[in-house]
Amino acid sequence: MNWTPLQELLLEAPADALAALPELTRDRLRERALALAGALQARRITRLAVHLDDAGDLAIALLGAWRAGVRVLLPADLRPASRQRLAQHVDAWLSDAAGDLRITDLQGNPLPAAALDLDFEGLVLCTSGSTGAPKLIAKQLRQLANEVATLEALWGAELGSACVIGSVSAQHIYGLLFRVLWPLCAGRPFLRQAQPFPEDLQQASLVRPAFCWVASPALLKRMGDNLDWPALSAVRRVFSSGGPLPDDAARQLERRLGQAPTQIYGSSETGGVAWRQADDYWQPFAGVELSQDAEGALRIASPCLPNGHVEQTADAAELQSDGRFRLLGRLDRIVKLEEKRISLPMLEQALAGHAFVSEARLGVIQDNRAYLGALVALSAEGLHALRNGGRRALIQALRQHLGRYCEALALPRRWRLLLELPGNAQGKLPQTEVDALLQAPRTLGPDCLKRHPDDAGGWLLELRVPPDLAHFGGHFPATPVLPGVVQIDWALGLARELMDLPSRFRGMEVLKFQQLARPGDRLALALRYDQARGKLYFAYRNGETPCSSGRILLGE
Amino acid sequence: MSRLQLEIKQLIIDALGLEDIAPEDIVADEPLFGDGLGLDSVDALELGLAIQKRFGIRIDAEAKDTRKHFANVDSLTAFVEANRPAVA
Repeated sequence: MNWTPLQELLLEAPADALAALPELTRDRLRERALALAGALQARRITRLAVHLDDAGDLAIALLGAWRAGVRVLLPADLRPASRQRLAQHVDAWLSDAAGDLRITDLQGNPLPAAALDLDFEGLVLCTSGSTGAPKLIAKQLRQLANEVATLEALWGAELGSACVIGSVSAQHIYGLLFRVLWPLCAGRPFLRQAQPFPEDLQQASLVRPAFCWVASPALLKRMGDNLDWPALSAVRRVFSSGGPLPDDAARQLERRLGQAPTQIYGSSETGGVAWRQADDYWQPFAGVELSQDAEGALRIASPCLPNGHVEQTADAAELQSDGRFRLLGRLDRIVKLEEKRISLPMLEQALAGHAFVSEARLGVIQDNRAYLGALVALSAEGLHALRNGGRRALIQALRQHLGRYCEALALPRRWRLLLELPGNAQGKLPQTEVDALLQAPRTLGPDCLKRHPDDAGGWLLELRVPPDLAHFGGHFPATPVLPGVVQIDWALGLARELMDLPSRFRGMEVLKFQQLARPGDRLALALRYDQARGKLYFAYRNGETPCSSGRILLGE
Repeated sequence: MSRLQLEIKQLIIDALGLEDIAPEDIVADEPLFGDGLGLDSVDALELGLAIQKRFGIRIDAEAKDTRKHFANVDSLTAFVEANRPAVA
């Protein structure tokens, strides 16, 4: 293997050297990159957004742009809201989407081959910030060159000429470094298309004489018995990054492959920080210097950061005297779902921007997969929509609204509708309480606002019909109405809390249902027990309007 | 709707934690992934595992285009029917 430093990738290429599969030789890659550089210059583009599925095309675009002194911005997706947010930072979009420049459109008079300038801030990564605003992270080519040199020093010899097969997109730092830039510099072939499914990964692997994987926990924890594990155990190394790989998934892979996955810890901001293999502790990469702030969050200095810069993370850690460390979780409200970084404040702000919502809070629910749950305080308009169109239509509208701001994966799957968000004594709603409210099943009982004895020995209660009562699911999907049987059940249950009543239910008489009770209604409930006759009298009113009334017969 | 089809729809709802979706809301010949239900590639992975587990079948990893069986409920039903072990 011949190592080519990143800045020399456009200089003369070794004859016949393969860069990527399906077939893209180093010569061809170089020609196309230089022609793309010429086209960008002719069009006077200096800031280019690039979103390409084909890692070979991405390599051509990056090297060509850098040769022309063009800054490349890598958006995580092509949603309208993402484009809008980035519009002021870019001159043109290069992607496979309609309306954008195609890579085939960018073929100009080639610029002469030359070394790239390592001080050039040629790459801008886009990620979610904890305030809700998107975060742009600029990288000098030197930082990227240092990243791949570190990786090659650690694992280059054992990988040899193994084909690099990725399950992750190359739009993010991990895929970009591991799937594209590292193999390019090392002269190791890489697969141009990502293989997100286990069966495809297997097929792509087993036709190669030697291979390694650049994978994510999303895939690694969901690989089944249907794969040919003995054949796959020829894999030279299994990289996992983007988010934590659960320990049991790591152990299962080790049993199946005879090799534990190599986990990489890093982020768009920090670049690669540390790695581990079958170990609780992370080993920092060469040249990484770690410290902690007062809250225990890691601070990082490294050759993959600008010189002299110390990057403050939100990752709490426990540092050991030998330099290794354990991660203890995040200190801010950024979460990762299947390795996608999601800013809860951003989505909460987006939700609150909808007319149906007055306030919203989000939390993560761990099920077969992790997804978001939303606690939504409805506005008057939202309550109106719920009463007249039902829960599903309301939530569909909110999901559609959010879909303009985030990927499908971040759309909340569980929703809890409220009239207002609860708050603790300080007026705050701690995340633990949000999570607990999302975990709890939808409520079956009323909100009891007030209760006091009346003059006749009975009780007067003030109730509110919760907007998200579980009974509304089927009664009725598009027009939620409080079922009569639930009204009787509530009356009896509340009466038992307040009065000493016989235990046996003997029947009902003179039941009257005069007016529908609907989500959010405030109801007055009068309860009186006639001991001599063994009858519980109940009457619901909504303001001056009687809703329902009747007598429940009780006995021993 | 056949019983198997109903079972597969219910499996999709349960395995993927879909709230407010009933089996009749999933149209058998409409794409499962993409815009409709908002399912993504991780759901496809989860569903692959759930189907294999529930019906005791194996997705043949050597066959081409195994993922095309997951296009919609109709194709999934046909796939399960063809691969299901015979019941004694």
